[in-house]
Amino acid sequence: MAEKPRIKLPKEAKKGEVIQIKTLISHIMESGQRKDKDGKTIPRKIINKFTCEFNGKPVFSADIAPAVAANPYVQFNARVEQSGTFKFTWTDDDGTVTTAEEQITVA
Amino acid sequence: MRGRILALGVLAATVTMTAGVYAQSKKEAPLELKADASARPWKRYNGWPARDESKFSTLGKVVSLPTPKTPRKLDGPITGDAEKGAKLVADRNRGGSCLACHVMGQAGNADLPGNVGPDLSEIGNAGREDEWLFNYIYDARVYNPETVMPPWGGHGLFNDEEIKDMVAFLKTLKKPAVFKTALDNPEKRPAPVEKRENLDPMENPGMWAVEKAQDLWKANGPAGKSCQNCHTNAATAFKTWAASMPKWEPRLNKVVGVEEFVTRHAKATTGADWLMETDENRAMSVYLHFLANGNPVRVDTTSAPAKAAIERGKELANRKVGELNFACTDCHGKAANHWIRGQWLGEPKGQYDHFPTWRTSLQAIWDIRQRFQWCQVNIRADELPPDAKEYGDLELYLASTNAGQKLSVPGIRH
Repeated sequence: MAEKPRIKLPKEAKKGEVIQIKTLISHIMESGQRKDKDGKTIPRKIINKFTCEFNGKPVFSADIAPAVAANPYVQFNARVEQSGTFKFTWTDDDGTVTTAEEQITVA
Repeated sequence: MRGRILALGVLAATVTMTAGVYAQSKKEAPLELKADASARPWKRYNGWPARDESKFSTLGKVVSLPTPKTPRKLDGPITGDAEKGAKLVADRNRGGSCLACHVMGQAGNADLPGNVGPDLSEIGNAGREDEWLFNYIYDARVYNPETVMPPWGGHGLFNDEEIKDMVAFLKTLKKPAVFKTALDNPEKRPAPVEKRENLDPMENPGMWAVEKAQDLWKANGPAGKSCQNCHTNAATAFKTWAASMPKWEPRLNKVVGVEEFVTRHAKATTGADWLMETDENRAMSVYLHFLANGNPVRVDTTSAPAKAAIERGKELANRKVGELNFACTDCHGKAANHWIRGQWLGEPKGQYDHFPTWRTSLQAIWDIRQRFQWCQVNIRADELPPDAKEYGDLELYLASTNAGQKLSVPGIRH
């Protein structure tokens, strides 16, 4: 993957606060339904799964389908009770897994 | 006493002037002066229409046939097929066809007509003769030398039979247009407004080029040096530079923009091959513009060579080019703030400060030269290589009409 994923979440939060998490990854998201100039199907290549864990526990996950546009953007909310690390993973059709991490401090 | 102060003043001025000249000559950036700054022979981008428009004028040469002096004579009344005509006026494969600029009743049952030209929904009541209608489509310049209408017949976009079918269709138009939806009415269609946060990397993937460029900045080129070696603090050194570009470059005898400057300066210093319209060149251009964000466009418009270049650029902006025979000023002057089919034609002001810009529909960064090239290919003219001197003149002219507009790069557009 050429570009590193983008994550946006607050660095600090209050205990029990619901925070907003924005993620974006650069990917062509080739649907597998388009044809090239010679009429041959362009093979599917998409991110098919996205997950988010906090301190090893699942927070959010999504199965992604071919209709999702290039550079998939996922935004969701999570309640934080303690300081820790969010870990994000994106799984490509070809098996490549891209990961990213962000820390948050809960006062 | 007074004399002494005056003398001191003169002395100070002399010193400043000398220092200024010295600093300028010392600062003259090394440039590659021989090689071209973009690929040769220039090859049109993948996915762009492959048409040979060499019979028609470009910004590089005037070759289109001159305007005919008299209308063509027809043998008798026109007997065309109005149904075929209705499809032809909305044919998107013929340079946008009539509907691009005219509302024409229920023409071809098509959507989103434009409003550059008059609404023709009742032209059938106007009592126009067949020959007049035929010639107006064939080459309207015989009746109105100032028209922006393409010479559809004269430039071979439609043959005589097809034009006759279109005339037959025009004669059936006798009632005001009824629009299927409010958006189909170009008079009521709201002008597009770009509200996305173009400097937010979560919204604008064009921003990723800023990071890419910072890596390139530190990477050693073939000569074993990087940009960093001479420009340690890019943010300070280039705080306003991009806003002063393009500029006349006497060593090259042409106007040079940020992109061409990057190519030539990199080649002459680090040895990097960052030809125009490569990813590296685009990233560097985004970055250098980004560093000058918020600064008003302020190009040199007063030196003699700059004035001459702006004059040439203005002439080019008024030159009719391509099969559709448009000048820049036709769409972005006379027809500005109108719809051409579903596309909004903007004024020149505001068409410069956000380049290079991210194109959401293409998932790509376009610099201003690529934008020029697309305008040309779109109106069925052959484009020039991005480092063509004509584009330099045009860019300087465009920048001069955008003076004071604040840079906000990378922009984000459809």
